[in-house]
Amino acid sequence: MSTEENGSGTRYKHGQRTTGSIQWLFQAASGVFIIFFLAVHLYVAHINGGSPIELFDTVVGNLRNPWWLAFFLAFLWIVTYHGLNGVKGVIYEMGITAKTRKLVSWGIIALFTVSVIYGTLLSLVVAQMTIP
Amino acid sequence: MGSNSGVIGWGNFFHKGIGYFAYTMHRISGIVIVLYLYLHFFVLSNLLKGGATFNSLITSFTYGPFDIFIVMDILLTLVIFYHGANGIRLMLNEFGLGLKHHKVMFYVLESAAMAVMLLFLYFAWQVLVSGGGV
Repeated sequence: MSTEENGSGTRYKHGQRTTGSIQWLFQAASGVFIIFFLAVHLYVAHINGGSPIELFDTVVGNLRNPWWLAFFLAFLWIVTYHGLNGVKGVIYEMGITAKTRKLVSWGIIALFTVSVIYGTLLSLVVAQMTIP
Repeated sequence: MGSNSGVIGWGNFFHKGIGYFAYTMHRISGIVIVLYLYLHFFVLSNLLKGGATFNSLITSFTYGPFDIFIVMDILLTLVIFYHGANGIRLMLNEFGLGLKHHKVMFYVLESAAMAVMLLFLYFAWQVLVSGGGV
C-alpha cells in the first residue's frame, strides 16, 4: 500500500480513515434516521392522502402541533449534521494539510451552528404566525 | 488511486468499475443535496413574508410560470433516492455486513430504491395534477 505526503510531515496511507471512526458511526446512524424522516417528510409534503402540507396555512398549522415541530427540528438538526459532516469528509480527502483540516473543521462547526440556530428560530417564529 | 487523489480522481470511475462509480456518485449526489438543503432553507424563509407571498412562490414552481422546476424536483428525487440506497449499503458494510457481496448489494438496493421512487413520483404526480393542496 503506497503512502502520500500530506504536506505537514504526517503520512496517510491510501484508503485510511481520515475523519475518525466515531464520525463514520454517527454518519451511518444519522443516515438511518434521515431515511425515516425523509420518508415521512416526502409523504406529508407531496401526498398526505391528497391534501399535501405544502402551502402557508397547512405548513403553519402543522408546525403549531408540538409533535410535528419536534419532528422537524430533529430532522433539521440531524440532516444538517449529516450533510455538513459529509462535506467535511469530502474536503478532508482532498489531500489537504493537517493545519487546513483543522481550519475546515472549525468552519464546518461554525456553519452547522449558524444553520441550526437559524432553522430552529425560523421554525419557532413560523409556528407562532397567524393563519388568515 | 486512493482517497487522497483529490477531486480529479473522482472522474476516473470509467475504468475502475461500479465500486468507483458508487464512490464518486455518492460524493457528487451528497454535495447536490447539501446545496438543495440551503435552497430549501431559503425558500422556507419566505414563510415569514406571509401567506400570499409564500403561496404564490410555491405555486409558481408547481403550476407555473416556473413549473419547469418540476423537472428539477424529479432529478432531485433521483439523486436523493440514489444517495439513500448507496448509503444503506455503506452503513451495512460499515458494520461488516455484505462486504463480500457489495457489488450485488449496490444493484439490489439501487433497484429497490428506484422502484420506491417511481411509486412515490406516481402518487405525488397524481396529487399535483388533481390540484391537491391548492
